[in-house]
Amino acid sequence: MKPIIQCRDLSKRFGSKTVLQQLSFELEPGDVAALIGPNGAGKTTLFSILCGYLRPDSGSVSLFGHPAGSSALFGKVAALAQDAQFDPAFSIGEQLNFYGRLQGLSRKAAHEETLRVLALVDLADQVQQKAAALSHGMRKRAAIAQAFIGSPQLILLDEPTAGLDPVNALHIRQLISHLSGDVSFMISSHNIFELEQLCNKVLYLEQGKLQAEAAGDTDKQQCYLTLQLEDDNAGAVTQALRQLPGLTDIRLLQKKELLLCYEPQQNANFDLALLQCLAANGLRYRNLTKGQTLEQKLFSAR
Amino acid sequence: MAVSAMPHLKQTLQHCGLYAGFELRRLWLTRRGLMTLAATTVIWFFLLRYAIAPAADVIASDGFQQLFRDMFGSFGLNQLFAWPAPELAIYWILSLLLLPLLCLFFTANQLCSDAERGTLRLLALRSSRLSIVLGRFAGQMLVQGCLILLSLAATLSLAAWREGGLTLPMLHAAAVIAVNLLLVLLPFTALMSCFSAMVRSSRLAVSLAIVSLGLMFALLSWFIFYFPDFLFLLGYLPGTQVIQLLPLQGWQTLQHALLPLLQTLVLLSAASLLLTRKAL
Repeated sequence: MKPIIQCRDLSKRFGSKTVLQQLSFELEPGDVAALIGPNGAGKTTLFSILCGYLRPDSGSVSLFGHPAGSSALFGKVAALAQDAQFDPAFSIGEQLNFYGRLQGLSRKAAHEETLRVLALVDLADQVQQKAAALSHGMRKRAAIAQAFIGSPQLILLDEPTAGLDPVNALHIRQLISHLSGDVSFMISSHNIFELEQLCNKVLYLEQGKLQAEAAGDTDKQQCYLTLQLEDDNAGAVTQALRQLPGLTDIRLLQKKELLLCYEPQQNANFDLALLQCLAANGLRYRNLTKGQTLEQKLFSAR
Repeated sequence: MAVSAMPHLKQTLQHCGLYAGFELRRLWLTRRGLMTLAATTVIWFFLLRYAIAPAADVIASDGFQQLFRDMFGSFGLNQLFAWPAPELAIYWILSLLLLPLLCLFFTANQLCSDAERGTLRLLALRSSRLSIVLGRFAGQMLVQGCLILLSLAATLSLAAWREGGLTLPMLHAAAVIAVNLLLVLLPFTALMSCFSAMVRSSRLAVSLAIVSLGLMFALLSWFIFYFPDFLFLLGYLPGTQVIQLLPLQGWQTLQHALLPLLQTLVLLSAASLLLTRKAL
């Protein structure tokens, strides 16, 4: 299968500051990749290079086998660029119509497409409004809507839910989840829980370097269970669980959260045994999650 | 190679048309565009009311014509009396001298606001930067074409009112004026394409354009002072054909069309290169 994004030894400097260093990765069709990293890690720079807004100083980048920014990618690659705003002189509807026309749609098809994508982000009734008349969250949703015009095969979303209220953030997540499979996504966000729900691949950037590249569920991850307790009795629970066959390690992550590591070869039904043990000892739990959270995977060893 | 370039060319032309149409909508259907129209109307009202109309009456008198021929006949300016209406002669002089300057202000915002607010990022995902430059340039030329036609229509109305009717030579002369003004404005609009691709504020683009043109003229003049053989270089500055156009009329004016067309080509290539290399 041909990769849809292929980056090789990508480097970018702004003056004396190195923003990206020898970055290499690939994305397969259907991937929903998370781009994570602290502020200033180079996430937006990488997005800008992938969109063709910036040129790398060295290395190569290709999307669907074409250089970033190539005319062959028009309509195929869409993006929510950080801080990109609509023209204040025209209504949102007029501008989305115009984008549709640029993507090769007829006048009628562009109008229908505008209504469709605005409905996707729950803004169908704002088609006549100018950007200045919309709230920050609505403008963000309109900017997300433009990325769905036509039938893009890859959508790059730079912090898509930042600044959105919880209901709309959930709505956008559901939208991405619904479209994933047919469309590949690359999503940058500081909301790790959101990325955990949506993404099957994680790229962790720090100081311009790719510090970790993780695939979604692997066998190794099956050896972990994250247990959230109802009561503040981690000590008693730890003592009770130590007797379970197959348990190799138990760690207190937070006041009421434990990470259990076990060997499935020794105890294939470890999770069932754990629940039985808790019930037998009268210990209450709130949540049991298979595997480590993305946050634990990325940051527990740091 | 030529076959593969054809779809790109077709797409570029289509996108240029869309951008140009969008700029026309901006003129006629947005508040900013209507403000531009209002500003143009006010400027031309004062020019027509207090300059063109009284001057036309003076020019139409035989005494003035004789005096003018005696004074400026050797410069060829007496050709101005050959225009079918004196209003058109005054319009011709005023617009040739005034419009290039106004053009620097009116067309300064071809790209800079969009670059500043990030709208160019949304456009660059759907069309090439060459299309954006050419489309915005074509849009500005269309907008200026509309403004020229409106002001010409007002001047023709004035002439028709004074003469008691509109004649075919008047319409013909108006067509000559419109075509020539657009040709004169081409390199200035392309120059503003360059500067608006360079900076993120239209005010800065205008300042840069005025300073660059002034500096270039000053440096060339200084150079020519020491090397008079290079006097011909002054003739390559944008707008220098205006002085040669003043005494001309009819389609013979097109003999000076090649230079602004070439200047436009060079400046648009530079604008496209600047935007292509620019980080959005």
